[in-house]
Amino acid sequence: MAVVFAALAALPLTPWMSKYYMLLAFDALLFGAVAMSLDLLMGYTGLVSFGHAAFFGLGAYSTAVLLERGVLSIWLCLGLAIVVVTAYALMVSYFATSRRGIYFALLTLIFAEVVYTFFRYTQTFGGSDGIQGLPSFQLLPGLAVDTPVRIYYLVLAYLLLAYVACRVLVGSHFGQVLVAIRENEDRVRFLGYNVQRYKMGVCLISAVLTGLAGALYPGRAAYATPDLLHWSISGEFIIMVMIGGLGTLAGPILGGAFFILLQEKVSSYVQWYSIVVGLVLVLIVLFIPRGLLGFRHAFRRRAGQQAH
Amino acid sequence: MPQPTMLAVQEISKSFGALGALAGVSFSVRPREVFSVIGPNGAGKSTLFNVIAGLHTPTAGRVMFQGEEITGLPPAVINRRRLAKTFQITNIFPGISVLDNVRVAAQSRLAVSGHLASLWRRPAVDDRVMELLGAFGLEHRRDELAQNLSHGEQRYLEICLALATDPTLLLLDEPTAGMTPGETKEATALIRRIALARSLTVLLIEHDMGVVMGISDRIAVLHFGQKIAEGPPDVIRNDPQVIDAYLGGADD
Repeated sequence: MAVVFAALAALPLTPWMSKYYMLLAFDALLFGAVAMSLDLLMGYTGLVSFGHAAFFGLGAYSTAVLLERGVLSIWLCLGLAIVVVTAYALMVSYFATSRRGIYFALLTLIFAEVVYTFFRYTQTFGGSDGIQGLPSFQLLPGLAVDTPVRIYYLVLAYLLLAYVACRVLVGSHFGQVLVAIRENEDRVRFLGYNVQRYKMGVCLISAVLTGLAGALYPGRAAYATPDLLHWSISGEFIIMVMIGGLGTLAGPILGGAFFILLQEKVSSYVQWYSIVVGLVLVLIVLFIPRGLLGFRHAFRRRAGQQAH
Repeated sequence: MPQPTMLAVQEISKSFGALGALAGVSFSVRPREVFSVIGPNGAGKSTLFNVIAGLHTPTAGRVMFQGEEITGLPPAVINRRRLAKTFQITNIFPGISVLDNVRVAAQSRLAVSGHLASLWRRPAVDDRVMELLGAFGLEHRRDELAQNLSHGEQRYLEICLALATDPTLLLLDEPTAGMTPGETKEATALIRRIALARSLTVLLIEHDMGVVMGISDRIAVLHFGQKIAEGPPDVIRNDPQVIDAYLGGADD
């Protein structure tokens, strides 16, 4: 993994990285980070969220609202995103984790649709246009993140920190309980664990990580629109995790990047790109159901780490 | 300090709709004894366990554990008071290693569990876990996925999970279910030995009379949701009502 991050850090130095490719790389890493956050729920805890677009979108709108008002500090933007997403995620996860299986998925979807409807059909935050034409972040007063290379390094730093945090988390006591919940939720209760508390905990962590990624998005796109909150985005997040490999962290990063690159490249050649993308995804699910980075592979590596 | 009773089941009734599964069942379990509840299939044994362990709330009656009422508390809370349960149908974590199975159980008793630090720390419990696995002859299987164990090994892992939560009272629901006669004998002896070594109180459910007679200090007999006898093995063996229930109900 260290080699991969080093290679990614060296990427802007290579001669063929135009502005277009820098921004494409930004998207690949950003959505990779989101897919990784969702993997905490899907791969480790066995919970499928159909509402992660809401966390992402709320993060993006938090930033957009501040930038629009001339608050340019990235730290304030991220801070607001954490507050907003935490508040929303607390409510959603409280209700969603009191139900199981398909009901969990449905509740996350329903809450997210309410948020989408609010942003799309009221004029509070610009309606269907969202908030457009935003200025750049500032890391420090006077130090703006205003070039593709700078914004790329910003997302790379975020991905690295989020990856380390997730890696520590899944190796922790908390992470082990999550895996036990995935394997056999009922038995976990009889071992003295408050299952709902653990589920809410991991929902919050996953939501905040997704929201932070969302908060970085306007730094590249200069807008936040209700499209970011649409359920189809939640669906894409799920696909990214699936094609990358459940329960591997690195797999979903790869899956997210792969999905973004595939979509972008195919759509630049043909109008009906979603058919091609769909076909490729079907083939992946059929022939490598454990994803680009499989479940087994990660398991074996984990067992190896414990040996020494 | 000696306690008069470890567990007191007082007038427990439980019905599911019109179906009465338990009707006014009472008994007391003393510290460090092996107390068995037997009865033909469908006598209400598992329902009784589920009421004690918190899966079901009884329709009437109370469950007292170490002098405190635990009736209707959630399973996690009851487990934290040191009352652990095994399951009749093997109930383990199939897709993770044997070691990780028992680790999760053992960690639930640590101070860090449920606190913020558990997000980044993984406390060392491996010594305790390996000792437990050793007692059940599973130490060489530690890295195997639990789903790949043989049936008998899974039954032992099931008990390991409960023991790892460091109980004072262990509820065993037909621990030898599906074992061969040879395995059953071995398992029975092992349970007895471990209970003694850890000063455990054991409440055992069985429908196989042979298993129970060998290891129990006292036995209660359930029949159609009612307790029809209670006493030491010798008394139970010769109780006409018990013989009648078993022979009369033998065609089920």
